[in-house]
Amino acid sequence: MKTIQEINEKIKKGEAVVVTAEEMIKIVEEEGVKKAADYVDVVTTGTFGAMCSSGVFINFGHSDPPIKMLKIYLNNVEAYGGLAAVDAYIGATQPNEDPDVDIDYGGAHVIEDLVRGKEIELYAEGYTTDCYPRKDVNVKITLDDVNQAIMVNPRNGYQTYAAATNSRDEKIYTYMGVLLPEYSNVHYSGAGQLNPLQNDYDPETKSFNTIGIGTRIFLGGGIGYVIGEGTQHNPPFGTLMVKGDLKQMDPKFIRAATMPKYGSTLYIGLGIPIPVLNEKIAERCAIRDEDIEVPIYDYGTPRRDRPLIAKTNYKVLRSGKITLRVNIEGREVEKTVKTGSVSSYKMAREVAETLKKWILDGKFLLSERVDTLGRAENKPMKSPITLVRDILSKPPITAQRNISIMEAAKILIKHNINHLPIVDEQGRLVGIITSWDIAKALAQNKKTIEEIMTRNVVTAYEDEPVDHVAVKMSKYNISGVPVVDNYRRVVGVVTSEDISRLFGGKK
Amino acid sequence: MRKRIYYWTASEHINKPVIADTVLNTGVKINILKAKVEPQEAFLILELIGSKETIEKALDYLSKFGEVEEISKVIKRDLEKCVHCGCCLTQCPIDAIYMDEEYNVVFKEDECVGCKNCMKACPFKAIEIIE
Repeated sequence: MKTIQEINEKIKKGEAVVVTAEEMIKIVEEEGVKKAADYVDVVTTGTFGAMCSSGVFINFGHSDPPIKMLKIYLNNVEAYGGLAAVDAYIGATQPNEDPDVDIDYGGAHVIEDLVRGKEIELYAEGYTTDCYPRKDVNVKITLDDVNQAIMVNPRNGYQTYAAATNSRDEKIYTYMGVLLPEYSNVHYSGAGQLNPLQNDYDPETKSFNTIGIGTRIFLGGGIGYVIGEGTQHNPPFGTLMVKGDLKQMDPKFIRAATMPKYGSTLYIGLGIPIPVLNEKIAERCAIRDEDIEVPIYDYGTPRRDRPLIAKTNYKVLRSGKITLRVNIEGREVEKTVKTGSVSSYKMAREVAETLKKWILDGKFLLSERVDTLGRAENKPMKSPITLVRDILSKPPITAQRNISIMEAAKILIKHNINHLPIVDEQGRLVGIITSWDIAKALAQNKKTIEEIMTRNVVTAYEDEPVDHVAVKMSKYNISGVPVVDNYRRVVGVVTSEDISRLFGGKK
Repeated sequence: MRKRIYYWTASEHINKPVIADTVLNTGVKINILKAKVEPQEAFLILELIGSKETIEKALDYLSKFGEVEEISKVIKRDLEKCVHCGCCLTQCPIDAIYMDEEYNVVFKEDECVGCKNCMKACPFKAIEIIE
């Protein structure tokens, strides 16, 4: 049994034994837990990944005459100004006001540019008061010019982030990167065996051995602190709220990124030293990639609760390949696909190594936590949902492909509809005819349904949210989609009129 | 061996089967990685596969109808910007990108066919395709 004070005394004397979490695995394997707990004083951890829930409080100092800033833009990215006169919070995911630039230069990029010492354009507007007569201000500033730039990140350092794949027949663009169609890749994030919270976790009590409020950490190349549990904290998916001084940070460990067609985000290097106070802590610090279970979810399902496709671990994910059992068009198939990381293990190592060096050099002392992390809770939002089945008109009106164009036209008129799904003998969708297709047939003197029907039909499912169908209709510029079951049998049609009715009031 | 070239051909040769003739006359295999035909010229990126002699013969033949410039790289990565995350790994159709044992993302540049999928997936805009 050691105390943090004793460890700090050793650090000051240059006698502390500090190893990274990767090195600890070997030490425990070779020497056993007891010996490792005896002679290792500190285990350093690290992670380097996209941490969307990040941002910086900036105090700009007062202008002359003073202004009460309300609408605040930094390089054309809006910062939140509902604070005191010259304070603002810039969030990493805020897009650019210019729609052409949009997510290519967002809040994260402003933060990185500040750390790099680049000049930033500040534009702010306010309303005048007796003591704040100025209406607007437009100046160029650098990080040196502002009073404080305090990074406060509501949710960083996820303990385990679930992996992602995609069941759809098209590419999707997510915060887990570009996911290929039909489960053709798996993306994952996280430092696994190097992750701070993993190395400090006690699975029995679902709490953390040493990390708590006040824990001194490595944040973005500077010294930071854990200020509490992060949002959505729910061990074994624990998260941290952290703060640090942006002025101390290093652009190597604060990197702006843009997830393609998704948004801007900030990659942050975060490392935490774990004091090896006893055997229990030593044992946990030897956790390996293969010991950490990672669920893989289907991001192709546009729902909050995504289907679980498989459970794996970081060792398999890092091997570059994984075999999944998946359902493609009603058939269960085994598929071996490539895995790709969204976070950087190389940089996570560098964080752990840098922190180790700081401690060995006596530049970084460990802190005692003042309290444990707070309440764990990650429950869904109470929000209404409308599914396709809620607005579906039944029974579906369909036709076989051997009917004449005249017959198709009659069906449309008789039922007062604009979309006619064409089906085979089993009722499975093969195409669709719209009133526009009939008009085109007349204009171009086409004779058969086969000639005019659209074969590549965009479809919907009964348990799909209406919002998602609206996005599809807008994306493909269409006014109706057949609703099909798992065997592609048509069970109804959703049209833009059905969706308008949701907003227009009349059911 | 493989050799990748840029190839420009003037408008008077655009409607001739220059590539097919090259294949037939020299026995070299040609993979067309990119072809852009404009009113005044056509621009192609070609990959020639064959022995040293056949590739040289093919280059000679192609030179009769246009201009050849050898390329050693299609893909360029800015190592200052790259953090070795791995978002590009699964996007490469020919496995020219992989992660080594030290967790570096490695590009086998001479195998790249210039599809741009990795470039489009990179969160740091660290990848450039040489046009």
